[in-house]
This record gives sequence, structure tokens and C-alpha cells, in this order.
Amino acid sequence: MSLPEIVFLLVMFVTMIGALITVLSGSIIYAMIGLVTTMFGIAGLYIYLNAPFIAMMQILIYVGAITILIAFAIMLSGPHYKRPKEWTTPVKFVVSLIVSLISFVVLFKVIMNAQWMQTKAKAFTITTENIGRVLFDKLMLPFELISLLIVVSIIGSIMLALIAKGEK
Amino acid sequence: MATPIYNNLYLFLFVGLFLLACGILGLLYRRTLIGMLISIELVMNGAGLNFVAFNRFASPDNAYGLAFTIFIMGIAAAEAAIALGIIILIFKRYRHIEGRDIKEMKD
Repeated sequence: MSLPEIVFLLVMFVTMIGALITVLSGSIIYAMIGLVTTMFGIAGLYIYLNAPFIAMMQILIYVGAITILIAFAIMLSGPHYKRPKEWTTPVKFVVSLIVSLISFVVLFKVIMNAQWMQTKAKAFTITTENIGRVLFDKLMLPFELISLLIVVSIIGSIMLALIAKGEK
Repeated sequence: MATPIYNNLYLFLFVGLFLLACGILGLLYRRTLIGMLISIELVMNGAGLNFVAFNRFASPDNAYGLAFTIFIMGIAAAEAAIALGIIILIFKRYRHIEGRDIKEMKD
């Protein structure tokens, strides 16, 4: 087994262990740290998929922006000792685990049984230039819709903050 | 020389599926709204990983999967911004952010 394969397996396990920490930890701060670990692992997987631009966007947007937003929300929503423990009743946990395992097993069988259309022995040479051309030539309408969505969400956040301050 | 193990579609699909299962588990059993939001982020990351993996292995000639992964990131950012604004409003009103006890959002 060569060095890139060992690093790949390491990145994969870091991603999965980060997801487990995100879900199973009792404190919400630890869950956030687990989310950061998962994001870095997925960025590593993107690099193994020959998509370094997506990996950079992943680190910038998820690790840089969304996690900081979540950290702000955690700190603004009450002191730590007043916060409820994340562990609920065992019955609820067992039921959630059953639902999650059922979906996992069913989709795992679907993945293993399906015939994916794979093109063998072909180099993947998509550069950032190709992504930009697809974004601005073929996918112009979804791109504009996403920018509209983000503008609406910014205005909505500002409105929510004004309501919270008492001004309308 | 044999093909390295990272040239295998199934490993990436497995990681995406694992993220989906973890996200469903967290979404169902977390008490606070922020925990549920973090679980939704996990699900969206699994979706993005699947998009890039299918683009890499199923149609390596175009870049549609990568472009849609960028769209998924934008949607996740907008969703996080709105959801966190609502969570802070809920905290100001109820003094807690447990999903179980929030029954009405408006007078």
C-alpha cells in the first residue's frame, strides 16, 4: 500500500470520526468542533477527487463562515450552565438510531446493487476555468437564482435582528 | 500497477451515505435547535460529496457536478444565516432553544 492510499484512508476515517463526534457528543461546542473536523476531511476527499477548487471553497465557506455563524449562535443563546444536556431519553435515542440504521442499510444495498455508469481509465482534467465556463454559460439561471436567494436571506436576517431589537 | 483505492466510486458513496445516516440520527435526537442545524449541515455535505464523486467517475468530461456543489454551498450558507437569526429570536422570547417546547412562533 503506497503512501497516498494510506493518507486517503486516514482522511476518510477522520471524516467519519468527525461525523460521529458531531452527532454523539454531549456538548454542543464539541459538536461544532466535530463539524469542523468533518469539513476538513471532506476537503481532503475533494482533493483526492481532483477538485482542488471545491476543496478550497469548502474550507472557506464551511470552516470559515458557517462554523463561525454557529459559534456566534451558541454564544448568543444563553450561558452554558443553563443549557440543557444534549442527551435525551434513551428511548428517543434508540428510535433515532433504528431509523438512521434502516436508512443506512437500505441505501447501502441500493448503492451496492446499482450499475453505475463508470467510464474507466479516463483522466479527470476539469480545471477551475471549466467550472467558471459552466457556471456562466450553461448554468446562468441557477447562478442568478442562488444570488437572489442569498440576498433574500441577508435581508431576512437583518429584519430578524431589527425585530429582536424591538424596531419594526 | 493496480489502480489505487481512491479511484473507486463506492468508497466516496459510502462516506456520503455515512454522513447522511449521522445527519438523520442527529436531526432526530438532538434537543436544541443548533444541534439540529449542525446535523443538516452534515447531510448537505454528504450530498455535495456525492455530486463531486459522480462527476469524477461517471462523466469526467464536464463540470456540472462541481458547479452544483458550489450551489449547495450557497444554499447551506443562506439556510444557516436565516436559521441562526430565527434561533436567536426564539431564545430572546422563550429563554431556551429546545425544539420540544416551542409550540407557537407568533402571537
